[in-house]
Amino acid sequence: MTLRAENLTKRYRQGEKEVVALQGFTYAFPKGATAVVGPSGSGKTTLLNLLAGFDLPTEGGVYLGETPLHALSEDERARVRLKHMGFVFQQWNLIPTLTALENVALPLLLAGWPRGKRLRRAAELLERVGLAHRLHHPPSRLSGGEQQRVALARALALDPEVLFADEPTGNLDAESREQVAALLLEEGRGRTLVLVTHDPELAQRAERVLYLKGGRLLRETPRAVGS
Amino acid sequence: MEVLLLVLRNLLARPVRSLLTLLGVLVATGSMVLFLSFGEGLRRALFQELSRVGPAIQVVPEGTEGFGLGGFPEITPGALKALEEAGQALGVRAVVPVLFLARGGFDPASSFLFQGLPQGVAPDLLYPGVKAQAGRLRPSEKGAVVGGKVARRSGLALGSPLRLSPRVALRVEGILEETGGLADNLLFVPLAAIQEVLGTRNYSAVLVALNPGQQAEAVARALERAVPGVKAQTTGEVMRFAERALRISDLVRFGISLVALVVGGLLVANTVMMSVYERVREFGVMRALGARRGFVFRLVVLESLLLSLLGGVLGLGLGALASGAINLYTLDQVGLALSAVTGRLALFALGVALGLGLLAGLLPAHHASRIPVVEALGRV
Repeated sequence: MTLRAENLTKRYRQGEKEVVALQGFTYAFPKGATAVVGPSGSGKTTLLNLLAGFDLPTEGGVYLGETPLHALSEDERARVRLKHMGFVFQQWNLIPTLTALENVALPLLLAGWPRGKRLRRAAELLERVGLAHRLHHPPSRLSGGEQQRVALARALALDPEVLFADEPTGNLDAESREQVAALLLEEGRGRTLVLVTHDPELAQRAERVLYLKGGRLLRETPRAVGS
Repeated sequence: MEVLLLVLRNLLARPVRSLLTLLGVLVATGSMVLFLSFGEGLRRALFQELSRVGPAIQVVPEGTEGFGLGGFPEITPGALKALEEAGQALGVRAVVPVLFLARGGFDPASSFLFQGLPQGVAPDLLYPGVKAQAGRLRPSEKGAVVGGKVARRSGLALGSPLRLSPRVALRVEGILEETGGLADNLLFVPLAAIQEVLGTRNYSAVLVALNPGQQAEAVARALERAVPGVKAQTTGEVMRFAERALRISDLVRFGISLVALVVGGLLVANTVMMSVYERVREFGVMRALGARRGFVFRLVVLESLLLSLLGGVLGLGLGALASGAINLYTLDQVGLALSAVTGRLALFALGVALGLGLLAGLLPAHHASRIPVVEALGRV
C-alpha cells in the first residue's frame, strides 16, 4: 500500500500574516526507509502531520493506496492510522500510568483484541526490542532509550504498513541512539518508513533522503526529484 | 474492563485529589440519604402504626384530618349518640369515643400522652395484640393501664400514682408488654377522667371497628350521610393523605440536599477537568495511535462516573450509619424508628450520584475528545 502526497500545501494564519508551512509537495513513498531532513521551519513536522492525517492540507491530498486520507473524517482517519500506521515520537509519548506491556498493548486494545492475545503479542514485541525484563515497569522507571524501544514496540503492535518516526533518536545518548536506529531501520524493512530527523548519520542510513527547505522539497537523494 | 483499569490507574495516580473529590461526593450523598431517610422512616412508622390500629374508621369533626393524637374535642355527646345509632343500623362491631391529653414538655422523657377509653373498653380493641405484662388490661374508674416503654422510662410500677390535674389522680393498675408500636408510649385512662381535666363532655374522635366482610369506604360514607358535621376517614384515606404530605416534605428535603449535591458535582467536574488539562498529550497520543473521539469521551466520562459511584456508595453507607444512630436515639426516646434507608432510597441515591457524575463529566469529556491531535501532541 503506497503512501502518496500530491501537491500537498499547508498555510497557517498567524495574526494578519499568512505562513506557508508546506508548498506543493508531491512524492510517492516507496517501501523502505525515507529520511526527511531540513533546517528548523522547513516543514518536516507539518509534512508528517499531514501524511499521518493528524492535520488536513490547505490544498492537495494524501493517499494511502486508493484511500484519500484528506477526505476522511477525523474518526475515519484515526481508524486508518490504527490499521495501517505506526508512530515513534521524539518525546516517546508513553502513557505514564500504564506499564511497558500495557503501553504496547494499547493499540491492540483500540483494535478490539482480546486481553490474553493482546498481552501475548505485546510481550513478544517487547522481547523483540530487547525489553523482556521490563514488561511490568512504568515509563518513569525506564531509561530514555528503553522508553523509545517501548514506543517502537507499540508502533509495531498491529504490524503497520507505514511507520512514522519523528526525531526518534533526538533525545537519546550515543549508545541508545545506535540501538534505536538499528531496530528502527530493521523493522522498517518491508514497510514504508518515514523518518524525520536532524541526525545526518541516521538520515544517511536511510535508502532515500528528502531535503526540505522553506516548505518545499528541494531534492531527493540518491535519485533526483521527479525522476 | 481494560478501559476501567485505565481510568482507575489515572485516579490512583493522583490519590490526594481523587480522595478529596471522593469525600466531597461522599458528604453530599451521605447528607442527602440522611435527609431523605427521615421521610422513609416516617412513612414506614406511620404505616406500621396505622396498620396496627384496630378500628378501620376514625370519625373527626369536619375540616380536620384524622388518625392524629388528639385535636380539639369538638364531637358532642349528641353527635356520638347519632354515630352509635347509625353504627348499630350499619351493623358495625363497636363505636368507641376517644379523647387525648398531653402533659409535659418537648422532651419525650418527661412527656405523657393519655388516651381516654370509655368504661369497659380495653386497649386491645384499639391496638390489637397488646397484652398486659403485669396487672389488668382494662382500667377501672380510678385506674390506668400504661404502655411498656412509658412505664420503663418513667419508672412506673403497679400502684404508682398518676396526677392528671390537681383534682384528678389515678393509680397504675396494669402495664402492657412492649410491642414496638404506639401503644408502648400511651397511658390508657378512663375517658371521664380526661373530660374532667379538660372541663368538657366532648370527644376528640370516635373510632369505628368493623365486622369481618364490611367495606370501610362504604361504612364511612354512610356515617357521614347519617351524622352531619363529621368526617369519617378510613385508614386507606389517611395513608393516601399522609403519603401526599410526605412527598411534599421529601421534595423540600431533597431541595435542601441539592445544595450539597451541586457542590459535590462541581468538585467532580473540577477534578475531571483538571485531569483532562493535565492529560492533553496523553489523549493526543491515543488519538494518534487510532483511538476514536468516542473512546476518549468514554474514558473521561467513566472517570467521572467512577468517582461519583464510589462517592455515592460510600455516602450511602455513611447516610445509613447516621440513620442507624438517629434511630437508636428515637427508639430509646419515643419508641419509633424515625429514619429508614430503604432499598428505593438507596437506588435513588446511587442514581443521583451517577447522574451527577455523568453531568459533571460531560463537559470535560467533550473537551478532551475535541482537542485537535496536532495541538494535543504539541506539534503545531
